Amino acid sequence: MKKLLTILLVVCLTSMLFAGGASESAEKKSSAVKIALIVENTIDDKGWCQSMYDGLVEAKAILGDRMEFDYSEKMKPVDAGSIARQYVADGYDLIVAHGAQYKNMITELAAEYPDVSFAFGTSAEVVGSNVFTYMPESEETGYLSGLIAGLVTKSNVIGLVGPVDGGDSARYNRGFVLGVKDVNPSAKILVAHTGSFSDFVKAGELAATQIKSGADVLTGSSQQAIGALRACAEYDGVMWLGQDLAQLTTAEGQARCIAASSYNYSAVIVGLVENLEKGVKGGVCVPMNFNNDGFVFDYNSALKANLSSDIVSKVDQALAEFKKSADGLADWASVSYDSL
Amino acid sequence: MDVLINILAMTVPFSVALLLASIGEMFNQRAGVFNLGCEGIMAIGAFVGMLIPFLVGRGGAVPLYYNFVGIILAALLGALLGLFFGLVCVTFRAPQGIAGIGLQMFGVGTAGTLFRHFVGGTQSIPGLPTMPIPALSKIPVLGEIFFSHNIMVYLAFIFVPISCYILFRTPWGLKVRAVGTYPRAADTMGINVNRTRYEALMVGGALAGIAGAYLSICQAKMFSDELIAGRGFIAVALVYFGHWHPVKIMLGALLFSLAQTIQYNVQGLGLSLPYEFFVMLPYLVVIIVLSLTSKNQTMSPASLGKPFNREIRA
Repeated sequence: MKKLLTILLVVCLTSMLFAGGASESAEKKSSAVKIALIVENTIDDKGWCQSMYDGLVEAKAILGDRMEFDYSEKMKPVDAGSIARQYVADGYDLIVAHGAQYKNMITELAAEYPDVSFAFGTSAEVVGSNVFTYMPESEETGYLSGLIAGLVTKSNVIGLVGPVDGGDSARYNRGFVLGVKDVNPSAKILVAHTGSFSDFVKAGELAATQIKSGADVLTGSSQQAIGALRACAEYDGVMWLGQDLAQLTTAEGQARCIAASSYNYSAVIVGLVENLEKGVKGGVCVPMNFNNDGFVFDYNSALKANLSSDIVSKVDQALAEFKKSADGLADWASVSYDSL
Repeated sequence: MDVLINILAMTVPFSVALLLASIGEMFNQRAGVFNLGCEGIMAIGAFVGMLIPFLVGRGGAVPLYYNFVGIILAALLGALLGLFFGLVCVTFRAPQGIAGIGLQMFGVGTAGTLFRHFVGGTQSIPGLPTMPIPALSKIPVLGEIFFSHNIMVYLAFIFVPISCYILFRTPWGLKVRAVGTYPRAADTMGINVNRTRYEALMVGGALAGIAGAYLSICQAKMFSDELIAGRGFIAVALVYFGHWHPVKIMLGALLFSLAQTIQYNVQGLGLSLPYEFFVMLPYLVVIIVLSLTSKNQTMSPASLGKPFNREIRA
């Protein structure tokens, strides 16, 4: 009986192996580019991860049968390697690990699987011939938010809730400072960082502290920003400028978020698919800016009427200039938070 | 002066979650059990606390009592998890450190999974509003610092003397201290060591559950998988910091939150120092104070972390 069970088990396992192989080869036959997305948070976090997921959905709508995608959420860098390998085994053509924290994992996997393409961002580095990177030039979105903040503040104190001083957040923050100073040089900007991308409580505490210090307009980036927006909603007359359009759809966003910009990852994904179709497997850094439709900007329709035509025309003018040229804000890196 | 008042006024509500969780942990440790799963219980409490008002109002306004239903449910589930921890560590005498880490993972993971199932993405709730105490909130300086918060803040600070009374003036408090200090002697005196430890764990779990619910209902007014973000572990550290005494623990929670609020304000001054230095400041304060008072760690419950087996003579 024991022997019979052992034989049955071996037969079952062997047939499963063949079944797996059959499915893999069947998947390979499809001409669609298969994309796998790996994110550290969730696809509905109203921030960083959701923007990439939304980009994939939009890209799918544009490209139709030319692409298909799957995703894995809550993947810490240490766990992401195993799921990425699983995607490789399942015949995926492009694995997008959405975050600079995945750089080492991607570099390692790219060397291990040269026939598969990988992508991660934000990074301007080219780390392999089969690795794409993408770098949002977020100083442009920050600048637009800064223009509005500098012109709508009544207390002349503005709050900036940052996660860490690096990557696209650092660019957004510095662009924001440039925007404020261009229209309101005397405005005081309180810049502070929580040291985390996802500590909603800390972001809320920091926002509340800045409001108590007199700030009446705030902004912030990364998924934790929703905590700061929620804190703004607790205080009368305090407004918010968002870095994700999803924030406009929340109850507090509808009440307090004047405008928001968002990463349009669909343009990045469409570009990557076109590259893969042409046989380019990587070695390219894709910049994201208004010029190449990498960003989307929109007002809160409920609050736009409260803005003066001067504010709207200043923002429109800056937006038009960003769309006309890819040069953007060359001096964003020179911004220092000292003596703001 | 205004800056100082603002800092102090923010310090008080920011300290509440840590205060409740660390007093709960103090009851655990006074009974001889240290529960590193505090973080997990807080996560469950935060989720359940937020779930009730969310399901009723779908993010919109709800009658206030639904928030209290959420807080009570968080306390009950916290007590249940304390009971479960007792089963593992008191009855089965599993190593407390490992079991605590397991409970932490279980709580955070379960809360996140249930949140995705019942709620979906990040959603906010109206939560508990501030409730300035009439007359007292009008007192210059003190009114803003102490009497202009939500009701949970007042209850949490009122609970500090109550927990002192429970621990040092009631027979149950004496039993808790006895089983955490010398369980064999307590057993000889007819105290049911295991039952007392179970009770203390339930009280500790309930307080950790309420602490989590405070974060989701009163402070962030939303839930996310990473809402607790290590505060459960800070609560455990504060128990050592406060030498297992409710008043000292309260001072520790206030000091940590004060350092946090100060660093938020100082960052805004634009000093030429890396922001990472300010972010680590509150943790640095805890480490320094723990180091300076390390000789007083001998005041810890003598049987802390030691399982009790009446059949084996230790």
